[in-house]
Amino acid sequence: MNLDTPVENTWCPGCGDFGLLNAYKRAVTELVEEGFCKKEDFVVSSGIGCHGKIVDYLHLNSFYSIHGRAITTVSGMKLANPSLKVTAFEGDGDALAEGIGHIVHAAKRNIDTNLVVHNNEVYSLTTGQFTPTSKKGFKGKSTPKGNVEEPMNPVMLVLASGGTFVARGFVGKIDHLKGIFKEAIKHEGFSFVEVMQPCVTFLNTFKLWKEMTYPLEDHDTSDFDAAWKKAQETEKLPIGIFYQTKAPTYEKELLGTLIPAQQKKVPSEEIKAVFAER
Amino acid sequence: MEDDRYSVLIGGEAGQGTRMSGILFSQIMNKVGRYVFEMDDYPSLIRGGHNYSVITSSVSPIYSHYDHLDVFACLDDRSYDLHIKKVKEDGTLVYNSEAIKEDVKGIGLPVYTWVKEEGNRPILAGTVGVAAACALGGVDFAVLEDSLRKAYPKVADVNVSMAKRTYEALADHIGKYPIKMKDEKMGAIMTGNEAISLGAVAGGMKVYIAYPMTPASSVLHYLAANADRLGIAVCHPENEIAVMNMAIGCAYAGAKAMVGSSGGGFALMQEAFSLCGQSETPVLCYLGTRPGPSTGVPTYTSQGDLNFALYQGHGEFSRIVLSPSGNNQAFYKTAELMNLLWRYQIPGILLTEKHLAESTMTTNVDVDSVQEEELAMYDGNPEDYGRYEDTESGISPLLFPPVENAVVKASSYETDPKGYTTELPSVIVPSFEKRHRKRKAIEEGLRKVVTVETHGDGKVALVTYGSTTLSVMEAAKHLDNVKVVQIIYLEPFPIWSVEEALDGMEKIITIELTVSGQFTTLLKHNGITADGSVRKYDGRPFDPIDLANRIREVIG
Repeated sequence: MNLDTPVENTWCPGCGDFGLLNAYKRAVTELVEEGFCKKEDFVVSSGIGCHGKIVDYLHLNSFYSIHGRAITTVSGMKLANPSLKVTAFEGDGDALAEGIGHIVHAAKRNIDTNLVVHNNEVYSLTTGQFTPTSKKGFKGKSTPKGNVEEPMNPVMLVLASGGTFVARGFVGKIDHLKGIFKEAIKHEGFSFVEVMQPCVTFLNTFKLWKEMTYPLEDHDTSDFDAAWKKAQETEKLPIGIFYQTKAPTYEKELLGTLIPAQQKKVPSEEIKAVFAER
Repeated sequence: MEDDRYSVLIGGEAGQGTRMSGILFSQIMNKVGRYVFEMDDYPSLIRGGHNYSVITSSVSPIYSHYDHLDVFACLDDRSYDLHIKKVKEDGTLVYNSEAIKEDVKGIGLPVYTWVKEEGNRPILAGTVGVAAACALGGVDFAVLEDSLRKAYPKVADVNVSMAKRTYEALADHIGKYPIKMKDEKMGAIMTGNEAISLGAVAGGMKVYIAYPMTPASSVLHYLAANADRLGIAVCHPENEIAVMNMAIGCAYAGAKAMVGSSGGGFALMQEAFSLCGQSETPVLCYLGTRPGPSTGVPTYTSQGDLNFALYQGHGEFSRIVLSPSGNNQAFYKTAELMNLLWRYQIPGILLTEKHLAESTMTTNVDVDSVQEEELAMYDGNPEDYGRYEDTESGISPLLFPPVENAVVKASSYETDPKGYTTELPSVIVPSFEKRHRKRKAIEEGLRKVVTVETHGDGKVALVTYGSTTLSVMEAAKHLDNVKVVQIIYLEPFPIWSVEEALDGMEKIITIELTVSGQFTTLLKHNGITADGSVRKYDGRPFDPIDLANRIREVIG
C-alpha cells in the first residue's frame, strides 16, 4: 500500500518528523494488511506548525485543521461517523498551549480518537520560541534571558485527565514507535502518544534523547500507580505504553446505535407529531 | 375590549411558577380558539428576584404582547411596584393580599395561606395567576382543570384545588372580560427556540453542538431532551471553540451540524467560522442576541449583534446571514438556510434575539412543504477526486469518507484542487476566484426564495428585521398608511427585493433595537436612506401601542 503523496516534503533534512511519518505509515499499512480496517476508514488531522504538514504527506483522508484544534476536528468526525479511525497530530505548542483544554476533555470523555503530540520542546515554524515543554532556562526568541517557567509533563497531564491509553515514543526508535501507534489506533477510547521528535534546526536534542530514552520493560500497563510513578521520571525518559485500560467510549454512550452521517431521512412524521402535541 | 384583545400579566418572585403559569395560560387560550403571544421577562438569577409573563391573546392573529393590561395577577410586592401602572383603566388587579399590605384597588387573595394549606410549595402560587386570568376571561373551570391535570399530572389535585379557591374567590367577576372562544385549537404553542430546533431538524440537521448561553440554551435543552425521538445527536463540549470545530468535523464526515450561542460564545467561534470559509465547510450557526457588549444584560433582548454577524470571521469568504421574525418563519427559514449552506458549502448565521428565542406564540407550519435538498455529490472516478475541484459555479462536488479509493482532503490552508497545501500564486488565484464565484451563485439562489416580506400597502415604509418585525406588525394595526417591510436575508443583501418593496414609498422609517442604528447604516450602505428611525435599547421589546406612538412622532 502506497501512502505517498505528490507533495514535496519541506521538513528540514534530518527532522524528527520524518521518523514519525514513517512509523505512522508503517502502522497504517500493517493495520490495513492485517484486516483491522480499510485504508479509507482512516482520517488524519493536524494543527499548525511543522508537524501539521504531515497531512500533506499522507495519502489518507485528512483535514488540515487549525492551531490547537485538531483533536476537536476529529472528535466531530467521530460523532458523525463512529466507524472512522481518526488520528489528530498536534505539536507541543499546539496541544499543550493553545489547545490544552481540548486534550483534557477529550481524555476525560474518552472519545475514541488517537492524539499524537510531536514534542520537540520548541516552536519551529515560527522560528524558535519556548513551548510548554521547554526546559527552564531555554533561550528562545520570546525568552532571550531564558524561559522562567517549569516544563509541563504531557504524560502526567493525560494520565491525570483520565486518558485510557497513554504512551510515549521516540523517533530514534521507529519500530518501537510503529508498535505504539498500532496499539494506540486499535485502542477503543482516547489514546495519547507523546513522540519525542527533535528539531534539528532550533533545538537539536537527538543525541540527548537517544541517551535519555529507554523502553518500559516489566511494566504492568494496567497499573495506574505504576504508570504515574514512571511518568514522573525526567532524568531518564521511559518510552512505551505507560497505561491502558478499558472504559466506555463517549460516542457509544452518547449515540448508542445512531450514526448521524448515515441518518438520511428527515423525521417529518415525528416533527408533525410534536406540533400536534402542542 | 378593543379587537377582542385580552392581555394578562402574571408576576411574582422567581420560584413562584409564573413562567410555567404563563405557558399554561397560553396553552389554554390556544385551546379555546385564540391566537397567543407570550413574552417572558426574567432576571439572571434562580431564586428571589422577579419574573413575569405577559400573555396577550385574540381571535385574530397577534404578533406581540401588550403591556396595556386587562388583568394583572400580582403575587409579590415587587411585581406591584413594577407593573401597576400598566393596568388599563377598566383593567383588574388580582393580588396576593399577604404580600401587598397597603390599601390597593383590586381583589386581594390570601395566596400564602392557600399555598401553605395545599402543601406549602411556593410554586403553587403561579396557579392562582392562571386561574385568575381564566376566571376573569370567562373560561369554563372544567377547561382549566383539564389543562392543569395534563400539565401537572403528579401534583394535579393541589393545583386544581388552588384554582378552585381562586374561582370561588372571584365568583362575582367570572367573565368580566367576555373573550370570544370556540372549540378549536389554533396551532401549536411553542417558543421561538423550539420552532428553530424543529426547523433545523426538518432541514436535515443531525448533530447539534452547543455550550450553554442565554438565550440560546433552550435550543440545547429542547434538542437534548428530544434527541432520540428526532434521530439526532446532541453534544455539549468544553467550550465554544470545541463546539465550532467539532461541528466542522461532523460536516466533513457528512452529518449536517448546527451550533448555537449568544454574542460572547459566538466570539469564541470566530476562528473556526473562518475555517469554515477556507475549508468550504457548511455549518449553521444560531446566534441569539442579548444586550452586550460582553456579559451585558444576559436575559434580555437586543439587536446589537447585526454587524458582528455580517462581518464574522477574518479573511474573505461568503456567508449567509438570515434573521426570522416569528415562529412560523423561523421554522421554514431555518430549514431553508440549512439547505442553502450545504448547497453552497459555506457557513451561515441564523441571527435572532431573545425576544424570538424565548417568547411563546401560536405556531402553524406545513411540515411537508419543507424538503431536504439533494447534495451535489461527486460521481466520478474515486481516484480522481479533488475536494476543491475547480468548477464554473465555484461549488466542488462532495464526498464523505469512507469511500473506497478516494481521498478526501479538506484544509485550513489555501490548497490546490486536490486539497494539498499551496503557496503558489498560480494556484492561489484560481482558488480565491473559485470561492468568490460562489457569491454570484448564492445571490442567484437567494433570488429564488423569499428574502423580503411586506405587510400592508401604505406609503410609509416601516423597515425592520428579526423579531422586531413582530412588534412592528402589531403596531401597524394602530397606524394608517404604513407598509411593514421585513428584510429576512441580511447578507448577501437582497437589494433587488428591498428596492421593489420600497418602490413608490413616500417615507422610509427604520425600527431596530440598537443605539447606533446598525440596521439603518446597513440600508445606507446599500443606497437606502431612512427618513427617520425608531430605536430602543433598554433590553425590552417594544409594546405595540408605545411603538405606534413613536412611529407617529417620527412620521410627523
